Amino acid sequence: MFFNSLAFAIFLPIVFFLYWFVFNKTKSTQNALLIVASYYFYSCWDWRFLFLLVFSTFLDYFTGIQIEKSNSEKGRKFWFWLSISVNLGFLGIFKYYNFFVSSFAEMFTSFGFKVSPFLLNVILPVGISFYTFHGLSYVIDIYYKRIKAEYNFIDYSLFVSYFPLLVAGPIERATHLLPQVKIKREFNLEKAKEGVYQIVWGLVKKVVIADTCAVYANAIFDHYPSMNSFSLIMGAIYFAFQIYGDFSGYSDIALGVSKLFGLDLLRNFNYPYFSRDIAEFWRRWHISLSSWFRDYLYIPLGGSKGGLWMKIRNTFIIFIVSGFWHGANWTYIVWGFINAVYFLPLLLSNSNRNNMDPIILKWNFDSVKVLFSILTTFLLTCIAWVFFRARTITDAVLYLKRIFTNGEFSPQYLDNERYNYELLLMIGLFILVEWNNKTKVEPISGKRSWLKMALAIMAIIAFGTYSDYKEFIYFQF
Amino acid sequence: MKNFLFYVFKILVLTFVLMFIMDKVYSYAFRQSNKRSKISFIYNSPPINYDVVILGSSRANNHFVTKMFTDKGLKTFNFGMQGSKLFESDLVLKLLLEKKNKIKNVIVDVDVTLKSENKSDGTFLKFLPYFNESYVIREHFKELDDFNSFYYIPFYRYLRFDSKIGFREMLFSVLNKKSNEIDNGGYGPLPENNGNLNTEVLDFQPHRNRYYEEIKKICKVNNINLIAIMTPMCEKAIVNNYFKKVNQLYPEIYNYENIVAEDKYFSSCGHMNDMGAKVFTAKILNDFFSYECN
Repeated sequence: MFFNSLAFAIFLPIVFFLYWFVFNKTKSTQNALLIVASYYFYSCWDWRFLFLLVFSTFLDYFTGIQIEKSNSEKGRKFWFWLSISVNLGFLGIFKYYNFFVSSFAEMFTSFGFKVSPFLLNVILPVGISFYTFHGLSYVIDIYYKRIKAEYNFIDYSLFVSYFPLLVAGPIERATHLLPQVKIKREFNLEKAKEGVYQIVWGLVKKVVIADTCAVYANAIFDHYPSMNSFSLIMGAIYFAFQIYGDFSGYSDIALGVSKLFGLDLLRNFNYPYFSRDIAEFWRRWHISLSSWFRDYLYIPLGGSKGGLWMKIRNTFIIFIVSGFWHGANWTYIVWGFINAVYFLPLLLSNSNRNNMDPIILKWNFDSVKVLFSILTTFLLTCIAWVFFRARTITDAVLYLKRIFTNGEFSPQYLDNERYNYELLLMIGLFILVEWNNKTKVEPISGKRSWLKMALAIMAIIAFGTYSDYKEFIYFQF
Repeated sequence: MKNFLFYVFKILVLTFVLMFIMDKVYSYAFRQSNKRSKISFIYNSPPINYDVVILGSSRANNHFVTKMFTDKGLKTFNFGMQGSKLFESDLVLKLLLEKKNKIKNVIVDVDVTLKSENKSDGTFLKFLPYFNESYVIREHFKELDDFNSFYYIPFYRYLRFDSKIGFREMLFSVLNKKSNEIDNGGYGPLPENNGNLNTEVLDFQPHRNRYYEEIKKICKVNNINLIAIMTPMCEKAIVNNYFKKVNQLYPEIYNYENIVAEDKYFSSCGHMNDMGAKVFTAKILNDFFSYECN
């Protein structure tokens, strides 16, 4: 059941009605309903993996309590590592086992040894990377005594399985969401309206921007050897907007839906393509994942403290792991590596926290510099996205090489019976709307909201892509 | 809560109103050009007195050279469409008559299309912009699964098939931008093959087809001379007596399966190239229209 499906359009009002009119007596009834709805939502993909979700939830709930109750450090460590290893074990088996085994087999083959690896014939459970990270952060926080263990199983289950964030985040923290689910929610008109604005804007991003860009990006990436330089550049830009529209659109819908139930989720995107350097980009892109890795990997490794080599090592570890989190493919690892290379000069020159202030443009030379740095950052991310999108590293390298060697910058008719430049106007308009609203969460609220709502709905109806339906990209992670 | 529910209700009303308005705007826009597709050519052109109308799939579209008919003084248009089936051929004929065109002869390619009575997913949607206005389209689509959605939900058809009849196509209609579908009087010439024709296997059975029978009935009622033809396949085709089986079902269909057979006349096994189409069309003109040319 996707957020942009008819099934969800029926599911959501039913749950909303039951939540506020039938199960609104106590927070326990509210939570119980949301749990049932979340498990139903999840089982719509594959009910068999529901057992995995319930098991993972129970494991972290139980080990969390055991860590807290343990009198000895040895006991605390035992329950902590049990939780970590089982959680990562599941992730490893379902997501990474085949990758590692086939990579080793390829390596042995290249040395002249014939190896027939045993591969698992399993599909990746939807959202496993997200709910595993929910559980991990919870257990780690208890172990380091940042939070208390949750003794109410329903409340804890809701924290892990809450349907708006279950399959593609944002990756929540116990410190943020658990306190909210522990109190009875009262209906708040303004919050609910904000939720509606965010849902509608999320849909614009998904069906108008992401799915339309996908049609062009796919036509270009799938036939890159016959594309000219201009098409290849456009392909990278289209993919940049596809993945942004897709994932941030999903996050907007998730946050909006959650507001309808009176719960605030962590913000996941903050106009990342207006970043002035890569460090700022990573503070604005997939914020919940970046901050997760910062808090649970980068800082425990020593962060930016320590010597030069320590800094470099930690930077590469966090970016490569972040790339690998996205999927079991060398392309994601290289994507992470490239971002680390982009980030390193900023870290070493101590300028990674230079651009913390809001962007303000005036009619002066400084603003030209700001615009130039935004454009440069976007260009760098586009180059990295080529690795993210390509099927293999070789494809990505050849794609980039062809941009520079082909040298043709003319309009080209693509396999999808469209010209390569056709979306430029739409993307330009989208950038303009986002730029003018970059201080807000979405552009619909505020003055003349009805007019903006009408325009957004019109865009969804008229410019959305429906016949070439695309799943949310981040569901596969 | 009451305020919120009323707010959501207003958004739903707004959405419905916008869909209704845009449905009207799009439908109006699709009336502005007769150059976008063969269907727009039928729907948006003034009535024409045709001597010959050609119907069928790509095997009609690529095989009947319109210019050779018109050179003989026969007002002709090739309405054959890539991927279309008898479901669409029947509807094209009905639509031509609904739009008050006069037709003397209909040539219809009936061979591999006898395998099913389904619609062609890529072709039937070209009729949808005229769904609300055309009685025959509505009647013809009555048995489709989506009929009620097309009928009752404004804009649904444009939304469902946005890649073919969405904003882009609507815009080109308003701009009256010409598509190559109606070039050459509707005939689509194919290039020569690269010397490597793949074998085509007709391993299915022909069936009686309600749309072909409807075409026969319409022609009879409207006093139109119907010429049903099976067009050539290359020598490599494994036809498994398919064409003979067609003749057992419908003896009136002329079998031209082997009239053109050499590889050099084909672009792919089931489709002649321009050279083959000219040889074939000359034969058809000679066999059926020599009296009109005298």
